Amino acid sequence: MNQPLPLQQPILWIHGEALGPSNPALVAWPGRPALFVFDDGLLSSSGLSLKRLGFLYECLLELPVTIRRGDVAAEVLAFAARHGADGVVTTAAVDPRFAAIRAAIAAQLPLQVLAAEPFVELADAAANQQQKQTTTDLRRFSRYWKRAEPLVWQRFSG
Amino acid sequence: MRGGWAAAQQRLAAIDPGAYGRSRNHLDGAVTALSPFIRHGVLTLAAVRDAVLGRITRRLDGEKLINELGWRDYWQRLWAQLGDGIWEDHEPLKTGHPAAAYAAELPADIAAGTTGLACMDAFADQLTSTGWLHNHARMWLASYVVHWRRVRWQAGARWFLQHLLDGDPASNNLSWQWVASSFSHKPYIFNRANLERFSSGRYCEGCRLARRGCPFEASYEQLDARLFDLPTTPRRR
Repeated sequence: MNQPLPLQQPILWIHGEALGPSNPALVAWPGRPALFVFDDGLLSSSGLSLKRLGFLYECLLELPVTIRRGDVAAEVLAFAARHGADGVVTTAAVDPRFAAIRAAIAAQLPLQVLAAEPFVELADAAANQQQKQTTTDLRRFSRYWKRAEPLVWQRFSG
Repeated sequence: MRGGWAAAQQRLAAIDPGAYGRSRNHLDGAVTALSPFIRHGVLTLAAVRDAVLGRITRRLDGEKLINELGWRDYWQRLWAQLGDGIWEDHEPLKTGHPAAAYAAELPADIAAGTTGLACMDAFADQLTSTGWLHNHARMWLASYVVHWRRVRWQAGARWFLQHLLDGDPASNNLSWQWVASSFSHKPYIFNRANLERFSSGRYCEGCRLARRGCPFEASYEQLDARLFDLPTTPRRR
């Protein structure tokens, strides 16, 4: 299978889980046109208060982004077309809503997803080897923290 | 609370991990109010982690705050696994009541802050007017909604998500489930002594139910018997 060609002039899709200047897409592609879309579907279904929207807006004002409102994937694709972009770069998100939007974008244009530095990297290799499980045991916080806590504190020099 | 990177940097510069660890359960405690910035990725958990580790000289001083960052990471990992399943009971409730015993909608007096309970009405007012609530107030309010008023946790969770600036479906819903007991071994409840202690009695002072009729004025054993339909076992706290 051919490797996809590296992007030359992408646009950046900025979403609500990465509204800081350290957003990996903004860092990797300084100066490229960037877009944030207030999600009409989410706004009407969730009833988010004006205070919440205001907080997001204040975060956006400090970023080099264009702000739109509407169907997110459609707005991102239209923005890409307007800028003659050959792809879209965004950042990883946990909200499953974003997975659907990513899929809708990726159906039309190459999509690159960058991840921010994790809080802690849990190696699942040992678990995989024993074929007991393929993901971290999250049944209770204590099980997760027993593995995560020592790794976090390795960074502390005192 | 103002959004943005500059505001986040000010908050981050002001954190005192040692004081946080000692006082965070009190409404006047040295909490960081970083959650709205973390929730929206203005600050990454990794950046906050590094700020905490850089601020302390003794591990003990940072343990509580690092632990709370761990909770945030844990909820996000669970969301990645469960997806929209975070809106469903993770486990059966341990209250002894059937799911059908819980109302589907949030009662209007709770949302409007007109229950007559000075504490709960103040929390509702703060939630809707500022978009922020201390974690302990969130737990008390959630417990009141689910256990005293017997409302489905989802109704309360939706209400919080509408207003909280840090409203994150994973942290929010799974914490509601922790209170409700669908993601814990037992339901979370509190009593008046607990609320008075961690609020310095500010709500009880002006509450018309303070002398008579406070639904929280009881021992945990009495509340267990009143609120739940369980075989009697001593509760340890």
